[in-house]
Amino acid sequence: MARKLSGMWRLAAVLTLLAPALLAHHSFGAEYDATKPVTLTGVITKIDWTNPHSYFFIDVKDDKGKVANWKLEGYPPSVLSRTGWKKDVTMKVGDTVTVFGWHARDGSNWAHSREVTLENGKKLFFGPPAGTGDGGNTPAVEVAK
Amino acid sequence: MTRGLAATVLIVLLPASVFSQAKKNAVPRASNGKPDLTGVWQGGSDRRGTWEEANTGFGVGGTGQDSAAPAAPSSNDRPAGREGAPYQPWAAQKVLDSYNKRAIDDPTSRCLPSGIPRIVTLGLFPQQIVQTPTQIVMLYEYMNVFRVIPLNAKHPDDLIPAYMGNSVGHWEGDTLVVDVTGFNDKTWLSGTGTFHSEELHITERFTRVDKDRINYDVTMEDPKVLTKPWILHSSLMLREGTRLQEYVCAENNQDPESYEKLLKDGAKITRQ
Repeated sequence: MARKLSGMWRLAAVLTLLAPALLAHHSFGAEYDATKPVTLTGVITKIDWTNPHSYFFIDVKDDKGKVANWKLEGYPPSVLSRTGWKKDVTMKVGDTVTVFGWHARDGSNWAHSREVTLENGKKLFFGPPAGTGDGGNTPAVEVAK
Repeated sequence: MTRGLAATVLIVLLPASVFSQAKKNAVPRASNGKPDLTGVWQGGSDRRGTWEEANTGFGVGGTGQDSAAPAAPSSNDRPAGREGAPYQPWAAQKVLDSYNKRAIDDPTSRCLPSGIPRIVTLGLFPQQIVQTPTQIVMLYEYMNVFRVIPLNAKHPDDLIPAYMGNSVGHWEGDTLVVDVTGFNDKTWLSGTGTFHSEELHITERFTRVDKDRINYDVTMEDPKVLTKPWILHSSLMLREGTRLQEYVCAENNQDPESYEKLLKDGAKITRQ
């Protein structure tokens, strides 16, 4: 598990550094904090295959057994279908999954979902890398101070 | 003479596969002899192959098997290698302000059409071109918008300012040249905050250079906000086997509400 986590953190570091470009619809940085990667394991309670973004919700149990419901956001249905997902087949309510992503800026139980490890161990991307949709690393113009 | 003989020998010696490969990569032609642009294409990419082959790794989201695959540009991102936008100083400041607000001003966050060339260089969603001898139709999965482009026609004189403008086209040799005018001022050109006025005039050049690739060269002119024409070079790559799907953005758009709440709660969303 420690090894797996270390891999996740390495992935997080690489993605954060590279984080060049791309979001389906809007700015990643407006809602999510790329400096706050999060890995969650929980049971799916609801899946919304909707535009412009899809969502799924998982119950995550902490060390004391307390359960919190998390909201995870990602690609719209058409992009998910091109990314290897099948609605109602790949991931279902009741499945236990592990999600890697980035925490929302408001600190609530809400995160951007990049990679999902499914019950069968298969990994699929549910959303784009951090930093996407922010216009790249530099703005389109430079303004003299 | 010797050179001619050498060339003949070379051609004879070249394996047949070289010729069949060249034929396979040849530009498809319509019945009128013009390059046929018909097909499903991905903007903002220069990778050959199917959608899955070209978009693994960090890209649009594929299987993650090829970690070297580049990310595909979203509708907010600048195409690689593009020159800086030649905005007038006051306009450049406005672009920067939008950038620093992390795209909160983005018209597409309210599900409005993304305009041109932004929608053409976007890589996350496919686009389709249907070519006939008299008109060319361009369909975009993103926001489910379309362009009907009559050939050798004039712009109507009763244009109402529009998100996607009004397009007319003609052939210059093997290049389809599309003239677009009649824009409203509610879209972004290419990259966060790149606004324009209703005086925007765009000239697009589509050149299919081989079976897999269309070179897409765009010139944007807007004397109200730019100091000179802004030129962008990008490409569209053929994605055989991909189909356009529905994208009804307004279905469950939680973004404007999220942004407002984040701002109200004092979340720091200014670029650091």
